Amino acid sequence: MASSSASLKRREQPMSREGDQLIVTPLGAGNEVGRSCVYMSFRGKTILFDCGINPAYSGMAALPYFDEIDPSTIDVLLITHFHLDHAASLPYFLEKTTFKGRVFMTHATKAIYKLLLTDYVKVSKVSVEDMLFDEHDINKSMDKIEVIDFHQTVEVNGIKFWCYTAGHVLGAAMFMVDIAGVRILYTGDYSREEDRHLRAAELPQFSPDICIIESTSGVQLHQSRHIREKRFTDVIHSTVAQGGRVLIPAFALGRAQELLLILDEYWANHPDLHNIPIYYASPLAKKCMAVYQTYILSMNDRIRNQFANSNPFVFKHISALNSIDDFRDVGPCVVMASPGGLQSGFSRQLFDIWCSDKRNACIIPGYMVEGTLAKTIINEPKEVTLMNGLTAPLNMQVHYISFSAHADYAQTSTFLKELMPPNIILVHGEANEMMRLKQKLFTEFPDGNTRIMNPKNCESVELYFNSEKMAKTIGRLAEKTPDVGDSVSGILVKKGFTYQIMAPDDLHVFSQLSTATVTQRITIPFSGAFGVITHRLGKIFESVDSSTDEETGLPALKVHERVTVKQESEKHISLQWSSDPISDMVSDSIVALVLNISREVPKIIVEEEVAVKSEEENGKKVEKVIYALLVSLFGDVKLGENGKLVITVDGNVAHLDKETGKVEGEHEGLKERVRVAFHRIQSAVKPIPLSAE
Amino acid sequence: MGTSVQVSPLCGVYNENPLSYLVSIDGFNFLLDCGWNDLFDPSLLEPLSRVASTIDAVLLSHPDTLHLGALPYAMKQLGLSAPVYATEPVHRLGLLTMYDQYLSRKQVSDFDLFTLDDIDSAFQNVIRLTFSQNYHLSGKGEGIVIAPHVAGHMLGGSIWKITKDGEEVVYAVDYNHRKERHLNGTVLQSFVRPAVLITDAYNALYTNQTQSHHRDTEFLDTISKHLEVGGNVLLPVDTAGRVLELLLILEQHWSQRAFSFPIYFLTYVSSSTIDYVKSFLEWMSDSISKSFETSRDNAFLLRHVTLLINKTDLDNAPPGPKVVLASMASLEAGFARDIFVEWANDPRNLVLFTETGQFGTLARMLQSAPPPKFVKVTMSKRVPLAGEELIAYEEEQNRLKREEALRASLVKEEETKASHGPDENSSEPMVVDTKTTHDVVGSHGPAYKDILIDGFVPPSSSAAPMFPFYDNTADWDEYGEVINPDDYVIKDEDMDRGAMHAGGDVDGRLDEATASLMLDTRPSKVISNELIVTVSCSLVKMDYEGRSDGRSIKSTIAHVSPLKLVLVHATAEATEHLKQHSLNSICPHVYAPKIEETVDVTSDLCAYKVQLSEKLMSNVIFKKLGDSEVAWVDSEVGKTGSEMRCLQPMGSAAAPHKPVLVGDLKMQDFKQFLSSKGVQVEFAGGGALRCGEYVTLRKVGPTGQKGGASGPQQILIEGPLCEDYYKIRDYLYSQFYLL
Repeated sequence: MASSSASLKRREQPMSREGDQLIVTPLGAGNEVGRSCVYMSFRGKTILFDCGINPAYSGMAALPYFDEIDPSTIDVLLITHFHLDHAASLPYFLEKTTFKGRVFMTHATKAIYKLLLTDYVKVSKVSVEDMLFDEHDINKSMDKIEVIDFHQTVEVNGIKFWCYTAGHVLGAAMFMVDIAGVRILYTGDYSREEDRHLRAAELPQFSPDICIIESTSGVQLHQSRHIREKRFTDVIHSTVAQGGRVLIPAFALGRAQELLLILDEYWANHPDLHNIPIYYASPLAKKCMAVYQTYILSMNDRIRNQFANSNPFVFKHISALNSIDDFRDVGPCVVMASPGGLQSGFSRQLFDIWCSDKRNACIIPGYMVEGTLAKTIINEPKEVTLMNGLTAPLNMQVHYISFSAHADYAQTSTFLKELMPPNIILVHGEANEMMRLKQKLFTEFPDGNTRIMNPKNCESVELYFNSEKMAKTIGRLAEKTPDVGDSVSGILVKKGFTYQIMAPDDLHVFSQLSTATVTQRITIPFSGAFGVITHRLGKIFESVDSSTDEETGLPALKVHERVTVKQESEKHISLQWSSDPISDMVSDSIVALVLNISREVPKIIVEEEVAVKSEEENGKKVEKVIYALLVSLFGDVKLGENGKLVITVDGNVAHLDKETGKVEGEHEGLKERVRVAFHRIQSAVKPIPLSAE
Repeated sequence: MGTSVQVSPLCGVYNENPLSYLVSIDGFNFLLDCGWNDLFDPSLLEPLSRVASTIDAVLLSHPDTLHLGALPYAMKQLGLSAPVYATEPVHRLGLLTMYDQYLSRKQVSDFDLFTLDDIDSAFQNVIRLTFSQNYHLSGKGEGIVIAPHVAGHMLGGSIWKITKDGEEVVYAVDYNHRKERHLNGTVLQSFVRPAVLITDAYNALYTNQTQSHHRDTEFLDTISKHLEVGGNVLLPVDTAGRVLELLLILEQHWSQRAFSFPIYFLTYVSSSTIDYVKSFLEWMSDSISKSFETSRDNAFLLRHVTLLINKTDLDNAPPGPKVVLASMASLEAGFARDIFVEWANDPRNLVLFTETGQFGTLARMLQSAPPPKFVKVTMSKRVPLAGEELIAYEEEQNRLKREEALRASLVKEEETKASHGPDENSSEPMVVDTKTTHDVVGSHGPAYKDILIDGFVPPSSSAAPMFPFYDNTADWDEYGEVINPDDYVIKDEDMDRGAMHAGGDVDGRLDEATASLMLDTRPSKVISNELIVTVSCSLVKMDYEGRSDGRSIKSTIAHVSPLKLVLVHATAEATEHLKQHSLNSICPHVYAPKIEETVDVTSDLCAYKVQLSEKLMSNVIFKKLGDSEVAWVDSEVGKTGSEMRCLQPMGSAAAPHKPVLVGDLKMQDFKQFLSSKGVQVEFAGGGALRCGEYVTLRKVGPTGQKGGASGPQQILIEGPLCEDYYKIRDYLYSQFYLL
């Protein structure tokens, strides 16, 4: 399906661009809300953002499409915040797959993650086969999770990343990833509005090349916070004043804390309400209070100032409930209970009891995932199905007042306009909302320089980034800045995505590597006269300098400026040289020669004349070889005028000058081929120059 | 040419004075730390006063007096106005340290170098960063990136990395490579080859650091020994730095042993300190944050330690042996001094020093060997005025107040004259019966005997007293009256109401008792008397300074191996020792500038940027070595569309180059490698490795140092002509890459 078509497309791309291809594939949250999981790879580095489940499903069905990827190839997994749809498949992914990369999240996220998932495992009543992981897996995953502080830059395998405050919930982060200079921003869930305890999402300092952004709210605009809060408190106030009960199904952590802060303050300001109890039915939230108190630095200044006097999270008018057994339904009250979607649990139990009484009210305080009862009742159906399977009339008032800290359209568009990313990828939104957002954003960025994409799950977005590799030439090599045409030779050191070129002598200065020289000294038994060696070496090697050793006064030779031959004693000579392939070869031949001398009685060979003659012969031989090789390559090769060779291939003719290597002819391709062939033949038949430097 | 870097120390070189260094990077002046000592000697700050106004940014490394003590004074008196950068804990705990210093001082002297307000305003503008946050400076410092990294030593303590154009200047003082209870060790070792490293030689000569495990046992044994015989234990500590580690050790030990002896932590800000520290978990060691994440167990929820903020609480505590941690560590001021004087003459008591006292302080005197039998101490106390003095004071105050009021009214007159001068001509004169009002008016000033109401001053030029009249004109345009949109905006009041009244006090976070103490304005005076204190209690010193010792300093520097090294903050001997050591074995450029001596550590490094063309790169075969990959390139500079130089493959065959062996041979590893290949190896004398029967291998040349980063390695292999020789040579070659 989608992925196979993508892989087909990939094959069409020219090979050289392979390295420049950046792939973004949502494995979840593509055209849907829930199970956030976005895969990204570029230059052989692979990142996974978030690892959530779809709270509307259970078991394997709730997972993102992990089958589409090879978990063992992922370098880094970044979790934005602790919500189930962003973090809950993490224990599964860490413990039940081949994943072996590193996982990062913020301190607060990690602390709450454990509590939340442990609670999730306990609450979700599914069969053992459907259990994705158990408490043991969660505890094990804690050891693998590393923490990252806001703004702290971390580098893993050349992938640099850091995070910004995202608003939304405590510890929520937006991740900026930098791979080889290409920046990708993944917002996760974010909110640009400061509320009672959280800061607004920051605007990153740098503009990203790709922005993977949530689109939960689509093109909706949020009411201003004050109106929202007023509606909320008004509904509650009037309901309880008429003797009704208020049910607020809310997820245990995150927005619930904000609502509790509002309620506690409202009650404090309205003494007439003091006899009406507010219950908060979540033992989990109680446990998390320690976390909220500790990471006060992640919250806004308002709460930090309040903290100076008393802890705002110690509520004066709100009491905690552990279970429905402790709850006595005797009169008007306000109950906030989880789960937020009314799937099961305490909130559902209360809903079933209260839904038929029209004095009661239910306030849905935030975004609800498709398929949950809470989503259904927003449309105010006449009847609802109770947990026991019976149907009951829905008489209670249902209010939808969104406190979900997701950016609305105004925030999203300003955010994007400030950042001006050339590529926008929408995730985490329902298909229709996302489409509308896409259309509207198109009108906001009409210049056509901005690409907006909304891939479905497993559908890859492929982008190409110019792979200009930059290197820094440093040290001695850079003393003179070269002009066009000059050559630059040195050691290229690659670390992560940075390249440096340097002279070998500077290697230890600018990198952790070092060079070495290996000096070899070998002693050979030799009892003959040293003069014999001198003579014989002189015959074989072009350059043999005689000298005497300063210390011992014994004679020494330097062959080709490389190998020193010394007489050590009557019976030994020594060879000393600095290792490299040529010197090794020279020394080997010296060793062979010395051994030969020792073995046989020296013969006097006169070869002076032969040498002269052989030079001419050599010239002829070379020509023959060149001719033969050219024939074997091109077939039709004739000797032309001025000693030029005429090569004919498929009717195209090229003239080759053997002396200079120049090629003339009509056909460019043939010319080039002949030139290259001749060049190679020549370097093969001519002797290797010894003077390497 | 590279980035220009100049270093000139302002304080704290060739001695243990507070730290303060000026580093100028391409003309942008950084002040690294802004310390003062416990004696608050303004003469130390003279060099700073000369340059204070030119400073563009201040970087603070640790939250103690030696690193940031002079900040309020410099901001107020010396014209320092640059933004200050620090981590959140350094900012918070530094602020508390300064409060404690001020309150301790104020209690015993007419301290007037700076006030609480000065401290507040100095710390108000601190820009808070997290560890490893790359902060890009703007404006004058465009292109400079600063980043604090973990230093160990104190909570939030940082080493600073300043980067410009890829060149790094690292400022690392008082770091600790060892992991402690509440802190992680420094990450200094992870920096490789910075252009400049500025570091201290403080502990260069101090080598016999005991193992932390033994030290802790000894520490706790010493304390419990004295407690068991009924003595008291005093630990003079700093306000919010090293004391945290001590608190944790004691807390942990007390819970294990179920001791019932009380522990008191007594500073003017102790409860605020611990409250803050509780929310700094993410800055602490891995084990602390892990224990919180898994069990929500905050290590600084101290169960055995009682936090006190004044001495009366301690005096009221039930009698019996106790442990008291009190500031200041120098015993020059603060509760520690008072307690010391009280306890010194009881031989059962123990004064346990956990750090070397600052030079010239009482603590240092007591730490000398042998300890003095008697010390002369000037004890000062602030007492409320009483009797005649109080009356005299009040009279003086009243007089001042009157003068002030008079001056104010005169000023007001002037203003009124000025502002209402032109008005009265147009207004109708109003006749007032002057006789009836005469008695009502007070005795101020002869000119306006006939004022009707307080605060109403008739214009002098008017014929008769009158109320000023202001014509309230509204601007009109074609749409009507011009309105101000702000008047119609609904303010965010309702929500913030709760918060507003909260943040009013000095810092928004000090408990009420402290605040009342600070804002105590009762008239008081300082009385001093000298007394001779017999020191019969035991004096013990243990090293809980949390700094790396000499050996680790050397190995750390060798590992970092900066291109240039600047040494600061140590005695002359220590500085000289480390300088010689570094010159010999680490790098050839070591500087130890004197006060106000500027050293230019601009790197002589040349560099230019090139683009690597795709064609070139497709032919390069990298070889992997550690975390980097290396290859030899022969290339030609070609043109690109832009101004960038581009490296392309050579048109003709490249001239052959001298082959290079790349790699780092460790004799120990090579030995193991050889023995795994079945070669008999052993170390012979002088670092030579004897392989097989005849062949020896040794490293020669000046590079005796480990790491081998100071130059190319020279390896000598020698032996007679035999098969072994060639075999071992092949093994040796296999350890290198030939480029």
